[in-house]
Amino acid sequence: MIPTLLTRLYCLCLIAALAIGAVAAPLRAQQSVVDGSGRRVPLADTSRILSIGGDITEILYALGVDGKIIAVDSTSQYPAEALGQKANVGYMRALSAEGVLSTNPTLIIAAKDAGPPPVIAVLKASSVPYIEVPDDKSPEGVAAKIRFVASVVGAEEKGEALAKDVERDFALLSEQRSRIKQPKRALFVLSVQNGRATIAGTGTSADAMLKLAGATNVASEAHGYKPLADEAGVELAPDAVVTMQHGASGPPSDAIATIAALAESPALKQNKIIEMNGLYLLGFGPRCARAARELMAALYPDLALKPASAGE
Amino acid sequence: MLRACTATYRVGSKALISNIDLDLQPGKLMAVIGPNGAGKSTLLRILSGELRSTSGTVELDGRSISSYRADELARRRAVVSQATALAFPFTAREVVLLGATVPGFVSASEQVEHAAIEALRTVGLLGLADRLYPHLSGGERQRVHIARALLQLAFGHCDDAEPSILLLDEPTSSLDLAHQGVVLAEARRQARCGRAVLAVLHDLNLAAAFADELVLMSKGRIAAHGTAQEVFRDELLSRSYGCEVRTNATPEPGVPFVLPHARRD
Amino acid sequence: MTSEAVSLPSRRSSRAHHFTATQVIVGSAILLAIAALASLSLGPTGITLSSLPRALMSVFGVTDDATAARERLVLFDIRLPRTLLGMFVGASLAIAGAIMQGLFRNPLADPGLIGVSSGAALAAVATIALGNGIAAPLLQPLGVYALPVAAFVGGIATTGILVMIAGRHGQLMVGTLLLAGIALGALSGALTGLIAYASDDRELRDLTFWSMGSLGGANWPKVLAVMPFALLVVVLTPWLIRGLNGFLLGEAEAFHLGVNVERTKFVSIVVTAASVGAAVAVAGIIGFVGIVVPHVVRLLAGADHRVVLPGSALLGATLMLVADIAARLIVRPAELPIGIVMAAIGTPVFLHLVMRRGIGGVE
Repeated sequence: MIPTLLTRLYCLCLIAALAIGAVAAPLRAQQSVVDGSGRRVPLADTSRILSIGGDITEILYALGVDGKIIAVDSTSQYPAEALGQKANVGYMRALSAEGVLSTNPTLIIAAKDAGPPPVIAVLKASSVPYIEVPDDKSPEGVAAKIRFVASVVGAEEKGEALAKDVERDFALLSEQRSRIKQPKRALFVLSVQNGRATIAGTGTSADAMLKLAGATNVASEAHGYKPLADEAGVELAPDAVVTMQHGASGPPSDAIATIAALAESPALKQNKIIEMNGLYLLGFGPRCARAARELMAALYPDLALKPASAGE
Repeated sequence: MLRACTATYRVGSKALISNIDLDLQPGKLMAVIGPNGAGKSTLLRILSGELRSTSGTVELDGRSISSYRADELARRRAVVSQATALAFPFTAREVVLLGATVPGFVSASEQVEHAAIEALRTVGLLGLADRLYPHLSGGERQRVHIARALLQLAFGHCDDAEPSILLLDEPTSSLDLAHQGVVLAEARRQARCGRAVLAVLHDLNLAAAFADELVLMSKGRIAAHGTAQEVFRDELLSRSYGCEVRTNATPEPGVPFVLPHARRD
Repeated sequence: MTSEAVSLPSRRSSRAHHFTATQVIVGSAILLAIAALASLSLGPTGITLSSLPRALMSVFGVTDDATAARERLVLFDIRLPRTLLGMFVGASLAIAGAIMQGLFRNPLADPGLIGVSSGAALAAVATIALGNGIAAPLLQPLGVYALPVAAFVGGIATTGILVMIAGRHGQLMVGTLLLAGIALGALSGALTGLIAYASDDRELRDLTFWSMGSLGGANWPKVLAVMPFALLVVVLTPWLIRGLNGFLLGEAEAFHLGVNVERTKFVSIVVTAASVGAAVAVAGIIGFVGIVVPHVVRLLAGADHRVVLPGSALLGATLMLVADIAARLIVRPAELPIGIVMAAIGTPVFLHLVMRRGIGGVE
């Protein structure tokens, strides 16, 4: 008696699930994914996504699932409408558990850096699937990140196409890089305060970006973002200075001109100051290779590189 | 009862007081006089147990004073120090109630409140009980502290076997003539009630008028000890204070008094 | 007798103090109760205490409804620990501030004076910056709790060093303690700066947020960790009241009044170090409460520690909860650092009191 009832119920559920699955695309059959932290997370409903991390938001927009995003974190600055239209849960490393849950997400996709840890622990314990995206600041890492995010939101095809584009961009970048005879010596300036510059040493996104663009980071002896010492700065003598456009947090080029240490450098003598958008340059999202090629084009104008839009 | 025996207190190689022999007796008001820097306050701090003599002994009922716990001592003796500053604004009444701080005292009961009011009345501050301490004048503050000590004595356990002690360091320095009399009369009344009272006084004439015994200190030693008539000798006082003084006595009760010798040119 | 009683100044109802001790204690207890209920009932999800029955059903497994599970998560795993944590931290910091001000006889003393905050900050910064590097083998087993544990140990160790410096012949020199505390604070600050210099962008942002303080990461283990210290304060505080009142007149006078001076100093410092260390460990550096709340109580009801200590605990907890409620609602679904909100709420109130009443005639 009871077993037959259960069997019938089970069949009913199965039929219902199939029917719903056929009608409503976002509701996918119960499946799971192993996320960046090695946790197996069950996936069900991807209709309300909370995206934490500028690169992840950018990927989601590129995949065309921006309609499902209900909230983003404050680092999601590209495209601009992300922060303009979606709820903002604050800085990715200072999240609030209840604040995040109050946006009623059915899926949280977060960068590895999201925090603080106790809040992440609460979120992982909640019924909302929390997926940590693996992060590797390399060409392969970017493509892998895109494929991962695509698989989570069920946009594998678009994801594959986007990843292929990115890989192609990187291949092109690497081909162009190989044509560079004499690598330029470049310096990345994060900010200028009272004529004192903060520069990017090794282990920073900026350092990785300079390398991708075929330049040598003259500040490679420093580790992390460090203030530039006036006298030691003279020794650096970069051929080019790369900085972020004003508006994000970087200085305009005339602030760079106030840095005494760089006054006699070839970069300032020849006015070789390259300004780029911060997130575009350092975000390591889908536009990473294009950003690198744009930077390369600015560094090596005589190499006659193709315009940076080849990825489209 | 409270006895110092060859008590000496040194800071480095300098002796602030040396070889002091003194015995405080219940029922007597003893005044300690002497020039600035003679060691009067140091003596008082040694007797109160605040400082420990570097040699010699200070004993209360035959037991070294340093072997008493702070609360045991507090039940036996009250101290009014010179110029006490308050960290936070208490009212006069609250400062007086600090006299009932000792653990074991009943605190905040009707009885204590009433005793505090009595103590304030004694020093003539009843009307200022709820004035904030920082808003009081110097003399009023001094009297608040005396009232506090009176409350402490009133609630210490007091019996004839273990009479209590009141130590006053210049209790009249900021007071007007009338209140000098009030405070010292109260000190003498406390002595008459069977307590041992010691007051460091700068005013020799007040000391002579109220005290039963005078102790003259000079350069850390006791230069003379006795009644006013015994201590008030021109030559002794002039030597101790380093200036020429003349002693005399009032007409009828014959209270001795002293005046600095003023040269009139 | 009756006629005499009339001439006496009325008990405690005085011009000097705005409110009686009882009024202040009862009033702040009521405020705290209201703040606690509000803290449980307000939040960005809009779930209120009316969801309590359903959430309870979920707790006891009566229902496995998803809404109930969500309400349970918000009420019991987010708001309740957060509320308790806020109360413990606020009360600990405020009472520690009152004790320090009383002990040092200085209205400007704050709980950080005995080095516990700077030591905790140094340890926390070291954990954030070195936790994935050199110190990893040491800290990794502690997992999420590496930071609070390190901060607590750092705070207590710094105070221990201070007490060793200022202790002589079984006596604690309060003046030496104060100066050594400032010196050690400067040294910790320098070392903190050194570590910050060596840390990367991400770590720097973590340091910044930690130093602004937050109840955001509240969870049950943190509540359980800070509770014994908050209770320690509550248990030992009545014992300190007489001593600190005596200290008001100075150390020598306190001794004359029968206060065990050395033990009072020692207990004060142990209690403060433990409770502030625990508070800093679970909530980061939260200023303002420790220094301002005791003054507010003094301005309202006078400087007697029988009012100041319990009153500070209650008002400190209340202020913390109110600030936290604002912190989580103003920019929801994001969150403001609580220190900023606290200063924004507390400063106008405090300045108003100071301007109307002076600083209470402090010399």
